[in-house]
Amino acid sequence: MTEIKQPQGPGVQTSEAQIAVHWREEEYIPPPPKFVEQANAKDPAIFDRFSEEHFPDCFKEYADLLVWDEPWHTTLDTSKPPFWKWFVGGKLNASYNCVDRHAEATPDKTAIVFVPELESDEHEKISYSELQRRVNEFAAVLRDSVGLKTGDRVTLHMPMVPELAVTMLACARLGVIHSQVFGGFSGIACGHRIADSGSRVLITMDGYYRSGQMQDHKAKADEALEAARQEGQEVDKVLVWRRRDGQYASKTPMADGRDFFVDELLSEHRGATVEPVSMPAEAPLFLMYTSGTTGRPKGCVHSTGGYLAYVAGTSKYYQDIHPDDVYWCMADIGWITGHSYIVYGPLALGTTTVIYEGVPNYPDGGRPWRIAETLGVNIFHTSPTAIRMLRKVSPEEPKKYDYHFKHMTTVGEPIEPEVWRWYHSEVGKGEAAIVDTWWQTENGGFLGSTLPALQPMKPGSCGPGVLGVYPVIYDEDANEVSAGSGKAGNICIRNPWPGIFQGIWGQPDRFVATYYRKYNKDPDSTDWHDWPYFAGDGAVQAADGYFRILGRVDDVINVAGHRLGTKEIESAALTVPEVAEAGAVPVIDDIRGRVVEVYVSLKPGFEPSEALEQKVSAAIDTQIGKIARPKNVWIVPDMPKTRSGKIMRRVIASISNFADVGDVTTLANPEIVESIRHYVQSSKVAKDDVPRELSETEFEEIKKFGGE
Amino acid sequence: MAARASGLAMEMTRQYLAGELSVLLAHLQAAANTEAAWRDAWSLRHAAETEPISALGWVTVRALALADDLCWDSLNRGDTAAFTCQAAVCDELREFGVCAGLLDEA
Repeated sequence: MTEIKQPQGPGVQTSEAQIAVHWREEEYIPPPPKFVEQANAKDPAIFDRFSEEHFPDCFKEYADLLVWDEPWHTTLDTSKPPFWKWFVGGKLNASYNCVDRHAEATPDKTAIVFVPELESDEHEKISYSELQRRVNEFAAVLRDSVGLKTGDRVTLHMPMVPELAVTMLACARLGVIHSQVFGGFSGIACGHRIADSGSRVLITMDGYYRSGQMQDHKAKADEALEAARQEGQEVDKVLVWRRRDGQYASKTPMADGRDFFVDELLSEHRGATVEPVSMPAEAPLFLMYTSGTTGRPKGCVHSTGGYLAYVAGTSKYYQDIHPDDVYWCMADIGWITGHSYIVYGPLALGTTTVIYEGVPNYPDGGRPWRIAETLGVNIFHTSPTAIRMLRKVSPEEPKKYDYHFKHMTTVGEPIEPEVWRWYHSEVGKGEAAIVDTWWQTENGGFLGSTLPALQPMKPGSCGPGVLGVYPVIYDEDANEVSAGSGKAGNICIRNPWPGIFQGIWGQPDRFVATYYRKYNKDPDSTDWHDWPYFAGDGAVQAADGYFRILGRVDDVINVAGHRLGTKEIESAALTVPEVAEAGAVPVIDDIRGRVVEVYVSLKPGFEPSEALEQKVSAAIDTQIGKIARPKNVWIVPDMPKTRSGKIMRRVIASISNFADVGDVTTLANPEIVESIRHYVQSSKVAKDDVPRELSETEFEEIKKFGGE
Repeated sequence: MAARASGLAMEMTRQYLAGELSVLLAHLQAAANTEAAWRDAWSLRHAAETEPISALGWVTVRALALADDLCWDSLNRGDTAAFTCQAAVCDELREFGVCAGLLDEA
């Protein structure tokens, strides 16, 4: 039975100061001399080339890594801020750049090594010429059998197989915008993304291996189509790759006239060649949906020229990829890391990239190191979660294998110094340079990292801004938080960069509101200096310019300087067995700035009582600390919710603050609002606990509380 | 069982954590032997796929509680096959939650 003990130690930290000291300043670790000797970026002059004085033309160095059909005339067009356009006038094709030019120069070189999860299955090595053949034939299927054309969107719901890379590159060849949904997501999640993108074609696979078992993946396609249909989007065709030749791994029947096996369609296009469509640099290459959005999904639009140049450049300088390297990023292609640093970046540089189908610890924690040894992997890239997992299950395992990494990456979340050290000394055997990278789905590529041969590593810090990216930390009032002050704030990027997404698919206002409005200095300005990019992460910057990322800055209640995560408070409330749902909100308080109030609804069969209110309060007190103890716990019959079930925290926050609740007509249960308002506000009046009238800023804060 | 979401759960992109949790919740769904438990697991999976990343901690806590309930139920009924399967899911969820910083491990 599961047993998790009550938390102790760092998990209860909450304040900025506590966060800052929790990961104390660490020592610097220089990169190994052997690494420096061979590094792509070892001359410090590169910093000058990418200094602000040379912005934006510095990024020509990245764009020059690509082959352009037509040169660009404007490096950065800022005429419609913040919809930046890079390399305007330039034309290119991403598929050509990742496949054809290498197939012409080094046809027999391995482009992709596919490692099936079952160790009994052979690795599959796909040369650049073979990749070119497969991409061309599948592009012919998409164009001639399916009828896709430039600008169409197509949703991919595929596992970690080489056919996924082939599919993406075939789409790119035609200028078709691909939208890959993580293969492990449900069919319903896929369906929402199909509907949002307006895809009429879904490309999937019958099954794949995970933890040694064949998963029925095609079954999700039917769910996806039904979910999309409910949102008014019909899908005409479903293309199904087969995991094993001649076999069908799914129990779901193929729908006649709608579902097609890819191998059968390919048989009509053997040997076909498809001319790559020359695309404007700013044409969308793909959509990448972010999760964690209860409203309309958020499809980040990434461009062809700017994106590809940026991932090629950062792959060269920060991943230190050379054409003769064997590079393995253990992420999933369903995330931006996989798009940028498994497929597009490495292939643009003509290297060998590894695609591993399964989970890292199948059949045991030695699997990644066996793969590295067998394939001669010398660049390794993974997440702190995977590192922690491998360290936990088999900390001694790496030393049993004869592999040698020259370079390693961590990505996706901050890594604790002690985990970093294990990664460095045990996985890397002390021989590798490590880059700890900070960036997001929206960003295309790295934003914060050390340049591995020129800037020393510092465990727990991602490093300074990358080449040509100038981060800054602002406080809530847009004052710059100085490096070395020890104060945390909102990390922003002062300038555009080529990898930045071009917008949210179909939602331009949301794009501006979410990422730029907060610190925009002048909405009419076409000067990029007036449009800092708001990343949404908190950070502190040390005196040496290195950033330490702290986490999201939204959904935080600041009580007397302590930043309390609402989810932590709600999680604590939910440990009370009687509680079904919980919502924590801030209430304006003249002494402490904000205090916490918690709304809970109960499971069926339980009645509200003062004892239960105290039980909830005590649970929060015990698990987080006295600072988080709610001023009031309100037991309500139900929470105000959207139709998708999200608790509308802004509504209950407004009630607690006696502010206007705004429009509630779109809620699933609008009638509950008045009932809660009456109960809470009459109780507060009776207790003489009415907050003062809110200032305009405070009102805005409450109105926006809880996000979208 | 006493589980709590970790206060150290940090963000950045972390999209992959939602994905991995969704996969584990699909396993939990498959291990559910009542309609009600199946629905609970489904709604947790839906939450993992749609709620903000910061909510993954409480989704994991609730998933562990559900898995724990399923285990006890199977034990009480003497259904060892179901218990074995559910306990494995429970273990996977817990390991993942701790390693991902979604749960605290004392």
